[in-house]
Amino acid sequence: MSRRELPELEQTLADLAAALEFPPTPDLAAAVGARLDEAPAGAPARARRRGWPIGLSGWRRLAVAGLVAVLLAAAVLVASPGTREAVARRLGLRGVGVELGGPPPPTVTTRPGERLDLGLGGRVTLEEARRRVGFPVLVPGAAGFRRPAAVFVDEDEPPGGRVDLVYRARPGLPASPFTDAGLLVTEFQGQPSPLFLKKVAVAGMVEEVTVGGEPGYWFSGEPHFFTYQDARGAVREERTRLAGNTLIWQRGDLTLRLEGEITKQEALAIAESMR
Amino acid sequence: MEGEHESVEGRPLDEHELVERARGGDARAYEVLVRRYQDLAFRTAYVIAGGSADAEDAAQEGFVKAWYALPRFRAGSPFRPWLLAIVANEARNRRRSGQRQDDLALRVAEDRPSGDAAPSPEAAALAAEQRRVLLAAVGRLGESDRQVIACRFFLELSEAEMAAALGCRRGTVKSRLSRALHRLRAVLAEQGAPAAAPEPRLQGGDR
Repeated sequence: MSRRELPELEQTLADLAAALEFPPTPDLAAAVGARLDEAPAGAPARARRRGWPIGLSGWRRLAVAGLVAVLLAAAVLVASPGTREAVARRLGLRGVGVELGGPPPPTVTTRPGERLDLGLGGRVTLEEARRRVGFPVLVPGAAGFRRPAAVFVDEDEPPGGRVDLVYRARPGLPASPFTDAGLLVTEFQGQPSPLFLKKVAVAGMVEEVTVGGEPGYWFSGEPHFFTYQDARGAVREERTRLAGNTLIWQRGDLTLRLEGEITKQEALAIAESMR
Repeated sequence: MEGEHESVEGRPLDEHELVERARGGDARAYEVLVRRYQDLAFRTAYVIAGGSADAEDAAQEGFVKAWYALPRFRAGSPFRPWLLAIVANEARNRRRSGQRQDDLALRVAEDRPSGDAAPSPEAAALAAEQRRVLLAAVGRLGESDRQVIACRFFLELSEAEMAAALGCRRGTVKSRLSRALHRLRAVLAEQGAPAAAPEPRLQGGDR
């Protein structure tokens, strides 16, 4: 009613708007950019240099490298050599082998060309990923994780394909200093004999867990190394790729891996929610 | 805004493309979006929070939170209302937590004839006076009325954007605006002669 009753008032308000002065807008773009730059505390220089976090190219590199994932593990249990051996024998899931102990990590060297030239995987939609791989792709049902920010698929490596789900860092889900992402979930069909494995680590803890009644391991503490098999079948050490807290587990013949700066309880909750 | 449509390829990007790129992690695309909407975000926050320091804080925090919330942005839906909802929420939190602010301490520009034909000095003075009176009357309204009028007329928001900024349902925007205008008219009538209206907040603002 008022709109019709008060057309002049509305017109006068519109005229007033043209003559109004708001306080000058501060340079928010610069301030916001700086804020986002600070967010991944402890992030690699690569991320800081970019100024703004997690570019797509960074994710791609991450997905390729982290990939085929293999875990590596490093974990030195607080244990005698004898115990360590026993644990090493027990460790291992389909497609993944774990070697405890080992030599100290090598000096970090970058081989960016090699990594980027692997040609493994590309960014796709979740639906597309599901069409391309030979296994049912699982996604967390836990709140906040149902929609990954990015999905990468590799149809050929390892056999049966591999899918990576990437989640952005956000409040409550800090950026991993090792991946730049808030959470990285990798899924592939493990083979009976480990495709990868190897290596080392100096310190850290590994703990046996069960996820949905099936076996898994929780790695925490000191970062560990990954090794992976490239497209030509060669096993490579990902020397620039350290891993943070990682849960790796099995569901049927699917092997899943979840990495991020989260607690064991959080990781288990997300893992249990995957459908 | 030509200079803001930058892209890696050197061709202009529309909002949809920018948002999609930002959703994919392209921080440069997001920076373009921030530049494009920082006036809108800051002014909306100013209307709601009531002071420029809180507005700056709220708008900045809103842009940061929006970046992290982008994965939940529904592809293809309008970006502005979504962004404004986040910024306005930050602004409301600051208003609640702080003491009462300068209410809508906007200034009416002095010598700014809006048409091409320059009015006579007398006409210009009269128009400026009327604007001051009207702004003062808006300032005397309650917070909710003041905000809905400012969103509609001063920020020129769409209904969807108003609903987002005010945190109400779209269906209630029209009736809220209608009631606010009704009360504004009452305040103006109460004040009587325009020239007699006080100007309590015109000089006491942020600058």
